[in-house]
Amino acid sequence: MTKEEIIKLTNKVFEESFEIDPEKLVPGAKIFDELGLDSLDIVDLIVALQKQFKVQIREDERVRTIRTLEDVYNFILMLKQESAGSGQ
Amino acid sequence: MGCVSPLGRGLPSLLEGIEAGRSAVRRMEGWNQYLGLRSLVGAPAELKDEKLIPRQSRRSMGRLSIFAVQAAQDAVAAAALDPALATTGRMGCVVGSTTGSAISISQAFETMLPDHDLTKLSSMQFFHCISHTATMNVAQCLKLNGWVMATSAACASAMQAIGAGYDLIRLGRQDVMLCGGAEELHPTVTGSFDVLFATSVKYNDTPGLTPRPFDRDRDGLVCGEGGGILVLEDYEHAVKRGAPIIAEILGYHTCSSGDHVSESSRPAMVTCMREALKAAELEPGQVDYVNAHATATMQGDKEEAEAIAEVFGPKVPVSSLKGYIGHTLGASAAIELGASLAGIRKGLLYPTLNLENVSPECQGVGHIMGGSLQREARVVVKNSFAFGGISAVLVCRMA
Repeated sequence: MTKEEIIKLTNKVFEESFEIDPEKLVPGAKIFDELGLDSLDIVDLIVALQKQFKVQIREDERVRTIRTLEDVYNFILMLKQESAGSGQ
Repeated sequence: MGCVSPLGRGLPSLLEGIEAGRSAVRRMEGWNQYLGLRSLVGAPAELKDEKLIPRQSRRSMGRLSIFAVQAAQDAVAAAALDPALATTGRMGCVVGSTTGSAISISQAFETMLPDHDLTKLSSMQFFHCISHTATMNVAQCLKLNGWVMATSAACASAMQAIGAGYDLIRLGRQDVMLCGGAEELHPTVTGSFDVLFATSVKYNDTPGLTPRPFDRDRDGLVCGEGGGILVLEDYEHAVKRGAPIIAEILGYHTCSSGDHVSESSRPAMVTCMREALKAAELEPGQVDYVNAHATATMQGDKEEAEAIAEVFGPKVPVSSLKGYIGHTLGASAAIELGASLAGIRKGLLYPTLNLENVSPECQGVGHIMGGSLQREARVVVKNSFAFGGISAVLVCRMA
């Protein structure tokens, strides 16, 4: 999966699950401060991303470092590369 | 008062439907896929404009909570309440429902059970499913920080909510309470009544002819959905701010039959009506109208008609509004009381829709049938009964 595909599908999650205007979905957008998500939304973001990308995020400690949309793209890309590398 | 009913959002739309003799009962698409579900009719309400509720408030709402919140918003607007009251700690809400969102409960199990996997559940599923989902969402959306409670007494939930709010105001603990109930239509809801042989099953192809409260040809209830919220306010508080007062609550009572979970109990109904009248310091002869619970079940209508006859005799006008909107269960008492009071303000006592031939076992009361009764009414009794042997009765006087 390319980064472009990940960006497209991640943005789709933000648009559909959190009703965020696509224009606001720029890589530097801060998830809490600028996109308006809160702690409960993060739980649902994880569920939606897991479903969209067929990855496991819930127990991954690295998720705590995510601040911006770019961080989400990179995190998903990393998980996809890890799973590809492990042959999954 | 605010409501979302099977006849539309808002009291004007509900009254217009009632006055036109319109039934909101439909044959429900897709329900025939359920093995053993014999009743395929329901009275759905339209869910619309929900996106006007901000997402962060709406995300914790299932269908019934949206109905409750919209009804509460309309009720607050109709009562011309200052939004600043919400955060004084003197305004709260009591909103009931039979369960949390039936649709969400069903979805939660459908998500979790196939793979016994919790990780697919949304964080909001819990808030949709909990028993106090309606009242919690009304409080959060309207920023109320006073008393917030839920009643859960199935079909009497809204009436017990009104009774609880009334008591809080009488005790001087709150100035304003938003009280009522909400419910949503789902095959599991109708199914739970169907299992008990309490639903209407003979009119699947002629849904407008059912339910038929007190009628010879009645065959059971039809589930509906919606939300109804009344604004209860301390009298002096209301007068001081020039509130548009519709009626004054004079008495309320709730009691159990202590006898059987599903069989209606005439003695308990009689006791409840008499105790409510006693609390109101009124005699039965002073009552001008009884809005019956009457859902069109074989036993419930019989017991209620006999109970009303025993307390009030044959002259007091009596009707049920369930022929128009089905049984909106936990919302029913609030929607039906609101519609009754609004009708009375127009000089109308509404008839029981689909009551064409009074059942021999439902005689002895002043049934309103055929058309509205144009008569001035001052004192109104509202009955509400529920599975679990619950009775709840309210007495009020028009302002």
